[in-house]
Formats: sequence, structure tokens, C-alpha cells
Amino acid sequence: MDDAFDLTVRTAVYQHFATTGRSPTRDATAQATGAASDRIISDAYRRLFAKRMLVPADDFTSIRMAPPFSGVETQHRVTVGTTAYFANCAWDSFGIVSALGGTGDVASRCEQTLEPLELHLTPAGPPPSAWLFHCVVPASKWWNDIVFT
Amino acid sequence: MLFFRSEDALNEWCTAHRHPRRPTATLPQLWQMAVAWYANRLSPQARRPDANEIRQIFARIGLTDPFWDPQADRF
Repeated sequence: MDDAFDLTVRTAVYQHFATTGRSPTRDATAQATGAASDRIISDAYRRLFAKRMLVPADDFTSIRMAPPFSGVETQHRVTVGTTAYFANCAWDSFGIVSALGGTGDVASRCEQTLEPLELHLTPAGPPPSAWLFHCVVPASKWWNDIVFT
Repeated sequence: MLFFRSEDALNEWCTAHRHPRRPTATLPQLWQMAVAWYANRLSPQARRPDANEIRQIFARIGLTDPFWDPQADRF
């Protein structure tokens, strides 16, 4: 029963992000899923975090991360159609475009020089570029602290 | 998980922040990673790849360093 409800909650959260570019409030998720109380939604958020599908905000009133979507502003901005999004990281900026059909624009920066990066992505991938992707945390430890990763 | 303009910029950032210099991916490799992880993320059937699938994805993309192994014990 929890699994089916968790899927409903997850779907509602992702649909909200995809449609609006922002995190749903807990009330919005409750309304979208027909949940009778905030507690039911918070419990579902906890289970989905354990399954590595969502990262709730500390107070459980919103979603910090629904990978690739970010519930908070970051330097990784994505536009698909007329909707603007924030990504959790460089990887997720490409991930939002992929999740939403494969065509969109990424705006980010070089973390050292702060030079802007602007890319138009298509299903064929990014245009030719010498820019690099780097991650400090090895794959085996990504979820030890996914926000830092 | 960040973007860098060049190897020099990355090396300067690692030194300045005392972070280890890790293997990098090109932007075409990053796109393949994004597609493998997220292309069906809005589907109700979406799930994270398991450890074996992650290894296969990275191997297919050409990222074979143990850094990318989800069960590596070297780090």
C-alpha cells in the first residue's frame, strides 16, 4: 500500500517540477494526491528519500531535490520551452533537458573562472566544446551526502 | 558536480579548495550520463539504475576508472 501511494506522491512531485520549475508545497502534494493530512505526505517523503528518489527540505514542507530538479536556486539554470528550472548540479542540468524531451538551454559557469557557460542541447547532445565535468565525490559515496555531491 | 572551462581552471580550483583532482568527463559523455539516468525520470516506471547497470553505463560511455564504480572500496 505504501509503495503505491509513494509512487503517486513521487509522480505528483515530478509533475509539479516539470510543469512549474519549482518545488511543490506539502499542501500542493497533499491536494494532488488526495492525502488527508500533511503527516501522510511527510511519511511518504521519508520513504522516497530512503529509496533515493527525493530529498525533502529539512522541515518537510517542500522538496530540496527531486533529481534532476532542484527546489532551491543554484548556478545551474535550464530552460525548456518557456519554463525555467534550477538543476542540482552540472549533470542534472543536462538531466533536466533529457527528462523533458531532449531539447533545451543550459546556463551555468566555470566554477574557477566564473566564465559563463551557455549551451543549446538537442537529442544529439551538446555542441562541440572543450568544457569539462568534474565531481569531487566518488560514485560509491554519492548518496552519503547527496546535497554536497 | 561542476563545470570547468579547461584542465587548467579545474586544477586551479582543486588546489584552491584542497579538493582531490578526480577523473573528468567530456560534455558528450555527460550528455550520455544524463540520458541514461534521466530520460525516463518522469515515467511512473522510473528507477535508479542498480550497481551493475551503473557500471555498464559508465563502461559504455568510456568512463572506466574505479572512481565511477558505485561499489569501489578504494575511495
